[in-house]
Amino acid sequence: MRKYWSIFKISFEQEFVYRLNFILWRVRNVFQILLTYFLWSTVFSSPQTQIFGYDREKILTYVFGIIVVRALVLSARAMDVSTDIAQGDLSNYLLKPLSYFKYWFTRDISSKALNLIFAAVEFFVLFVILKPPFFFQVNPVTLFAFSVTVILAILIYFFLLFLISSIPFWAPEIGWGSHFLVTVVIIEALSGSLFPINILPGGLQSVVSATPFPYLIYFPVEVYLGNITGSALIGGLMVAIAWTGVLWFAMNFVWQKGLKVYQAIGR
Amino acid sequence: MIKKFKKYLKIWWMMSRNSFSVVINQKLALSVFLIGKILRFVFFFGFLYFLLLGNSTLAGYTSNQIIFFFLTFNLIDVITQFLFREVYNFRPMIVNGDFDLVLVRPLSALFRVLMGGADVIDLVTIPPLIGLTIYYGVLLHPSFYETVLFLVLLANGFLIATAFHIIVLSLAIVTLEVDHTVMIYRDLTSLGRLPVDIYKQPLQAFLTYLIPVGIMITLPAKALMGLVAPMGILLAFFVGAVALFVSFRFWNYALTKYSSASS
Repeated sequence: MRKYWSIFKISFEQEFVYRLNFILWRVRNVFQILLTYFLWSTVFSSPQTQIFGYDREKILTYVFGIIVVRALVLSARAMDVSTDIAQGDLSNYLLKPLSYFKYWFTRDISSKALNLIFAAVEFFVLFVILKPPFFFQVNPVTLFAFSVTVILAILIYFFLLFLISSIPFWAPEIGWGSHFLVTVVIIEALSGSLFPINILPGGLQSVVSATPFPYLIYFPVEVYLGNITGSALIGGLMVAIAWTGVLWFAMNFVWQKGLKVYQAIGR
Repeated sequence: MIKKFKKYLKIWWMMSRNSFSVVINQKLALSVFLIGKILRFVFFFGFLYFLLLGNSTLAGYTSNQIIFFFLTFNLIDVITQFLFREVYNFRPMIVNGDFDLVLVRPLSALFRVLMGGADVIDLVTIPPLIGLTIYYGVLLHPSFYETVLFLVLLANGFLIATAFHIIVLSLAIVTLEVDHTVMIYRDLTSLGRLPVDIYKQPLQAFLTYLIPVGIMITLPAKALMGLVAPMGILLAFFVGAVALFVSFRFWNYALTKYSSASS
């Protein structure tokens, strides 16, 4: 446990080596939030407007919820695994007395901690500037369910990242390409970062809900808002748990297969 | 002048051919990026479509007008990506000192680092994007004058985008930072996927005058809809000229700060 605590601390400090990079990255997050915020603020410009099951207060809380949930779920370092594989640096870790999965999970947690601190500041500043109507959830059961959904989301994202990062075992040239396709394009759109999934027509919504992506952002934020309760909440949690299990199994399976074909190219 | 233009056109064609050859040799990577770019467009287009199904207007604009704003943004974004992809490769050149090799050649260093690597993936997406823009543009029933104004303001938008890329390159020499600066430029321009009218003050003024996303993207689209006053047109050309002038001055200043480190 002590060695992972050391990894956590070193990883946390490493983020400060390229301070400008980190700050600019956070600035980028703020711009993305501004587009989403003003778009929904315009759609719900009248306080009486009710569409897609939202009113102005809930949709703007959804946007602010994205800031926090994104920092907790989508802040990660494990995308660098693909570079380790493609450049042969994985060999260094395989020789060390540590679990490669736990190493990256620890680094992810470190990244999430740092991003959460910055996200909290951004949340506060934007809240003061924009003064949105905000829905404070006070039901302890809902808050507990929200915490569970966030933990599941963190695990789902970690397993997804490792799966995508394993592609360079077979095709080293598409390490960044596969991340671009899945994390930048598909997850951004289908996780609920850009829009709540329930604005889609019923059929399409069902298809998207069957994938792991909405359980990263949309599902936790909807649970916080109290829009998913009772049997729908239990059902959603079951699907999220099932995806966590399936992706964990797939990650282990693909990783073992990958290690057998790993040639330490570049070493 | 014409001779010089022909010379640079020939050099651009040679550099682009080399850049295309590199990308086409990596067919799998090419396919993955192409699919990614198409999906990103489809997802946002689909989002706008479904959003406007539930709410027929946005900030007073009809669904076709909103989609036209989005297409105008894409047109400027994709064409500038196609032409100026080399900007993304500038940092290693500065860090390694390889920029020396560009400076000693008998051609404009700015031209080389700005346009030295056209992107074939973006090129593939340009024709269908132009087709879609024409389709939605025709649905807005513009007059001949409005169409010409749209094209002229679009060209002005490209000039502003060019100025931004030159500023990013100059900043790279001064600060050694490119990756995030260019992505921040892209994030800012992506606020132009929707008309800047939806943003509140002072963000709206910021996006209109300081980082003229509104003049780059919203104004040309509005011109096609007949929603631009003559003063707005004059202001757009003024901002375009100033942006280009400032970017060239900044580039010349940045060159004096180049230390040729590591070379």
